[in-house]
Amino acid sequence: MNSLLELKTAMRDERTEVKPAKRLGTNVSFDRDYGDTVGEVTASNARMVCRDVNVFYGPKQAIHGVNLDIGRNEVIALIGPSGCGKSTFIRCLNRMNDTIVGCRVTGSIQLDGQDIYDPQMDVVPLRAQIGMVFQKPNPFPKSIYENVAYGPRIHGLTQNKAELEEVVENSLRRAGLWDEVKDSLDQPGTSLSGGQQQRLCIARTIAVNPEVILMDEPCSALDPIATARIEQLIDELRMQFTIAIVTHSMQQAARVSQRTAYFHLGKLIEVGETAQVFTNPRHQLTEDYITGRFG
Amino acid sequence: MDKPTLLLLILVLTTAGYYFGRKRSLDIVSGKVQELHSLPSYYGYYLAMWVGVPTLLLLLIWLGFEGAVLSRLVVADLPGELQGDSGERAALLINEIRNTMAGAGSGSGDPSIQAAANHYRHLQAVSDWLLSLGVIALAALGGWFGHRQIEVEQRARNKVEKGTMVFLIACSTIAIFTTVGIVLSVVFESVLFFQKVPVTDFLFGLRWSPQMAIRADQVGSSGAFGAVPLFTGTLLISFIAMVVAVPIGLMSAIYLAEYASPRVRTVAKPLLEILAGVPTVVYGFFAALTVAPYIRDLGQSLGLDVSSESALAAGLVMGVMIIPFVSSLSDDFINAVPQSLRDGAYALGATQSETIRQVIIPAALPGIVGGILLAVSRAIGETMIVVMAAGLSANLTANPLAAVTTVTTQIVTLLVGDQEFDSPKTLAAFALGLVLFLVTLMLNIAALMIVRKYREQYE
Ligand SMILES: Nc1ncnc2c1ncn2[C@@H]1O[C@H](COP(=O)(O)OP(=O)(O)OP(=O)(O)O)[C@@H](O)[C@H]1O
Ligand SMILES: [Mg+2]
Repeated sequence: MNSLLELKTAMRDERTEVKPAKRLGTNVSFDRDYGDTVGEVTASNARMVCRDVNVFYGPKQAIHGVNLDIGRNEVIALIGPSGCGKSTFIRCLNRMNDTIVGCRVTGSIQLDGQDIYDPQMDVVPLRAQIGMVFQKPNPFPKSIYENVAYGPRIHGLTQNKAELEEVVENSLRRAGLWDEVKDSLDQPGTSLSGGQQQRLCIARTIAVNPEVILMDEPCSALDPIATARIEQLIDELRMQFTIAIVTHSMQQAARVSQRTAYFHLGKLIEVGETAQVFTNPRHQLTEDYITGRFG
Repeated sequence: MDKPTLLLLILVLTTAGYYFGRKRSLDIVSGKVQELHSLPSYYGYYLAMWVGVPTLLLLLIWLGFEGAVLSRLVVADLPGELQGDSGERAALLINEIRNTMAGAGSGSGDPSIQAAANHYRHLQAVSDWLLSLGVIALAALGGWFGHRQIEVEQRARNKVEKGTMVFLIACSTIAIFTTVGIVLSVVFESVLFFQKVPVTDFLFGLRWSPQMAIRADQVGSSGAFGAVPLFTGTLLISFIAMVVAVPIGLMSAIYLAEYASPRVRTVAKPLLEILAGVPTVVYGFFAALTVAPYIRDLGQSLGLDVSSESALAAGLVMGVMIIPFVSSLSDDFINAVPQSLRDGAYALGATQSETIRQVIIPAALPGIVGGILLAVSRAIGETMIVVMAAGLSANLTANPLAAVTTVTTQIVTLLVGDQEFDSPKTLAAFALGLVLFLVTLMLNIAALMIVRKYREQYE
């Protein structure tokens, strides 16, 4: 993937003198108005469809008119400088912002055609459908087994103990943690290493069999080896889940995602195929960010 | 000079020491402060220390031993027939002599006592003279020595620093030694008690009636010092108090920490904590005058036999008093549970009450338990409410409607009024105090250990 970055750097050198209009959009069709965002906002097999999403913290607007689709079985990376609203946006997708006092969301966000901000919508099953992994591993102060069993328990997903055990084992296997913890399932989850804790949190999330998994900087507290392990895991999970991941590492975005969305000051600036965004950004701001001129 | 004047003199001399020390340091370098090792004021403090500390020490030591030495001298000069041989008699004599000196003497008629008093007065004057002389001499010596020590290279700042540290250590030592002293005196008195009443009788005896007969032929000539009814009474009332305080305190803490809006919280939390600031005597008469009669009437209307001073009344009111202990500490610990754990549970689709019950409370549990233990030790040691509302009859019962008595109440009643200091009745108070102290100490240590362990976990 370093070659990708090299490639991109080389291209930048070529293009420095010819500075085309900031918004090229030559091969992009705008049959509808999706604000100022450059690139292909829609996805052909969209699971989540966000239209004109605004988020306010009290009087302050943190997200301005974002339109974005998240397609089936794709990993979409959300990148952008610190404070640009990546976390705010991703937390809208499973209504985690409901827990923040004074936070208001407008616009529409649909999951499989259903508006998740519909007053009729019950957030409890919604959050079971759209799981979330956080920046800092946050295992519950319970045993490893109980951490993973917690979700299936509260949603009544299993009939009996044997089934529950099976779900726990399966989830831990899919999170790539089973071999490391199978003999110590009754140890507290907090006794694991940071990387193991994060995989435990992923196992906990996939144990309720969600359709979409949101990840907010899942590797920022981890060392390179643990990071590589989780990136590999994300790649495997893509087969079953739709994943949105916030990351500060462009290499990571390039490694794990198919599409990349670049946010800047609460606006979605550019979306596109990951390779295209990194090698051939269409917007000046994206280019500046990717080439490290700010952020 | 008498002692207050002397103390004043020492202060004046010390201030003078500061002034001269500072001046001396400036003189040495003829005003060029940069050349000094320390700022001039440090040389001032340095000299002040040399003047003040030895003189104050002398004054303290003198105060400590003067009385004993003078008394001994006076008693030794008394005519032989008055001296007697027992220490107690000597103490009585000294008391008489002092009273005579003060002019309010009871035995002032005795000429030899009168003479002794005069003698004492004379010795006192001599002693004061000697002390004044000693103080002035020491101040001069210290001042001279300190003054000579002041040089350009002298590290006055470091020395003052050390002096400050020694002073602080001395202060904390006083606090520690006071505690140790109290504990030791309680232990010694308890040992005296246990020489008269066997430990096993005290700890396992079922009958408490500490009245000692004055004449041997009276009814109930020997008191009974079985403390079990007191322990059970204390436990019963504390238990009732905790039954009230733990659920209410915990629930209100949960409401305040998890559900209340910030506005409600800023108003409600201090209001709740005011409960802890109400003087216990107010709770006491509230319990005795309002709650106890109410419970009695209620019991009567239900056909129950409720005594007018019931464990229930005292326990209920004590429980109300303890609510803020439980709620305030629990609230702190619930707030200390990281937001990320809540987020984790919500992201799995848990409802708020599920999150609280299954994630937050378990995470905060050690801290909550610590808070509850602290509250228990507070309940066990509480005196005023039970004195006023629980009664004095040492019943061995688990019936909350009966009157019971507690360890603290009995300590109060044992020591109120005229007492002989060596009767088992008085000494029993110390034994009870010792037990109380040990129990609350253990509870506190356990609570603090739990709380500390928990704090480390999340910080
Ligand atoms: N709870 C909140 N209350 C008020 N303002 C908030 C809150 N959370 C975030 N913000 C504001 O919203 C904006 C976007 O924040 P957000 O956390 O989404 O940024 P981010 O892109 O995730 O940054 P980072 O990369 O540092 O995590 C920031 O200006 C921030 O100050
Ligand atoms: Mg963020």
